[in-house]
Amino acid sequence: MPSLTRYGYRNAISGFFEFPTENARRILPASLEPVELHHGTSIFSMTAFDFTESEVGAYGEVVMSVIVVPLVKAGERLPKSAFYPYLVATTTQAARAHAIERWHLPHWMEDVDIRFEPAGRKLGARVAADGAPVAELTICDYSWDPVSHLYQSFMRDGDKSYLAQITMEGEQSEHEEETGRLRLHDHPFNKDLVLSEVYDVPFREIWMRDGAQTFQPLVQLETA
Amino acid sequence: MEALHKKDARKSVFSDYDYSNFYYGAGEDPVNLLGPFCEWYEEAKPNGYYLYSEPLSSAPATHVRVRNGKTGALHDLLNLASYNYLGISYRDEVKQAAVEAVTRYGLGASGSPILSGTFDIHEELAREVAAFKGKDAAILFPTGYSANVGFISSIMRSGDTIFCDQYSHASIVDGAILAKSKTVFFRHNNPLDLERKLGGVRGKKLVVVEGVYSMDGDVCVLPDVVDVAKRHGARVLIDEAHSTFLFGANGRGVAEHFGLDKEVDFHLGTFSKSLGGQGGFVCGTRDLVDYVNAFGRSRFFSCNLAPPIVAGLRAGLRIVEQEPELRAKLWSNVAYLRRRFAEEGIDIGKSTSQVMPVLVNNDAKVFAVAEKIQDRGLFLQPVTYPAVPKHRSRLRISVSAAHSEEDLEQAVQIIVGVLREEGICRP
Repeated sequence: MPSLTRYGYRNAISGFFEFPTENARRILPASLEPVELHHGTSIFSMTAFDFTESEVGAYGEVVMSVIVVPLVKAGERLPKSAFYPYLVATTTQAARAHAIERWHLPHWMEDVDIRFEPAGRKLGARVAADGAPVAELTICDYSWDPVSHLYQSFMRDGDKSYLAQITMEGEQSEHEEETGRLRLHDHPFNKDLVLSEVYDVPFREIWMRDGAQTFQPLVQLETA
Repeated sequence: MEALHKKDARKSVFSDYDYSNFYYGAGEDPVNLLGPFCEWYEEAKPNGYYLYSEPLSSAPATHVRVRNGKTGALHDLLNLASYNYLGISYRDEVKQAAVEAVTRYGLGASGSPILSGTFDIHEELAREVAAFKGKDAAILFPTGYSANVGFISSIMRSGDTIFCDQYSHASIVDGAILAKSKTVFFRHNNPLDLERKLGGVRGKKLVVVEGVYSMDGDVCVLPDVVDVAKRHGARVLIDEAHSTFLFGANGRGVAEHFGLDKEVDFHLGTFSKSLGGQGGFVCGTRDLVDYVNAFGRSRFFSCNLAPPIVAGLRAGLRIVEQEPELRAKLWSNVAYLRRRFAEEGIDIGKSTSQVMPVLVNNDAKVFAVAEKIQDRGLFLQPVTYPAVPKHRSRLRISVSAAHSEEDLEQAVQIIVGVLREEGICRP
């Protein structure tokens, strides 16, 4: 396995939404703690990637996550935030096989359809699976700055736990203007969420473009 | 922390990291939290965080003597940072009352209010506050924070639901946590979202709003909030920390301003803002006060307000009642400053009160702006994420009735000059 795994993207949009901590805890393994925005309110995140280059070619990916407490150590670079992706879906079988094998990410096991729909200063991602709509995410821009941010991703596969350190580079727009939107459909894809309790306006929106997502080698954690 | 070693240190210190990054730490030792934060703070402090907690060596009047947090030098500055909305805390009659109380009672109450710490003047102040607010009774708390924490946790329980505005003060949030109730946050000043979230919720329900929101200076849309709450069988608590003694025909607050004094169930206020003193209170029925007296743990387990403070507050309350022209002067000052900011193209958001955010809207630049403003003679603090949303950095102004028009014009000139130099507002 190479020391670093790079995925080039044209666009990556993320919305961060309030949802009940009870729902977050039902999704998370016991070893992970949800970050609470307010008492009783945790953070659900949906990210849609438009990858243009990778070991498995170009593909689209949608990641449903809960934001969790990062693993922070003195003397080490601080992560911007930490994710627990509880469901990942891709537009190609090759991308899915790659991510399951290398990153132990839990996947929707069929190809999904992801359509990116730019509209002025907005970018939408329309996701469908099995011919039925799953979600529509719209993110708006604010101001653009080049960034290089460290993120953490926690994975669970059977009784093993893993951590990936991920660097996101590219042009970033990040804001809390509450201008984006999320529509989640009643679909088996969304079975882990109580749809009526996920707020449909993101409190934070991140749009990254023309950059790369770089994974450091996966680390197995001692926590069961 | 490689990001801290970029060329533009100030930008990277504030654009890549803030307090929210240091809330968690690895390992099993709580001390592990300290290292990453202190490493960052060592760099953040000289780049702007020194502007917080700079010590004053004079009264919090319209002009103050401040020791610069970076150089240690003393500076005489025009002050638009202190609450003291009516300019009362340093009036001679207030100071004299406090001095006389020190002579009579000594320094502190030396006891909990439910044991030996209640003095005659505590009871008198509570009676006077209740009369001022037009309520049967009032109960005093050692701080405004303590009032929210103690009151909310005294009447709400596990299994109940508390609905808070998303911009609620930390004391409201902490009160809800201590109550162990389910807490639901509705969008700021948005009765439609409140209605959506109240729908279908059973059991005891409390809606908590603030008269004036402390970071934005906007006023609660109380008529709509009360309407929604009543239709869903919820009780309403209004925290009038920044509006008591200012709003309404008699200065009772925003509830009086909207003619909703009776419709709002619980009225909470503080003495630290308009009176420039210390302490908080809750007003209502005698039954309510008796119950909170028995179950308000933040009060129960704290020493009572110091007698000199109580005596000063009583003198301050008399001034409020005898000099309504102070409120008129405050609102005249607010109108003047609003007009001048509008003329100069300064964005103060949705503020309609004496709390005015001068929006800088640049998290990386707000400290440089605040530093320049202080260097030119104006005492103001920056407020940035996570205290306010990202890109909503600001300088928070507190207008006082004690300011003269010349003071305010001088402040406008300093602020406009710096914001134009920094490209924050149009030339």
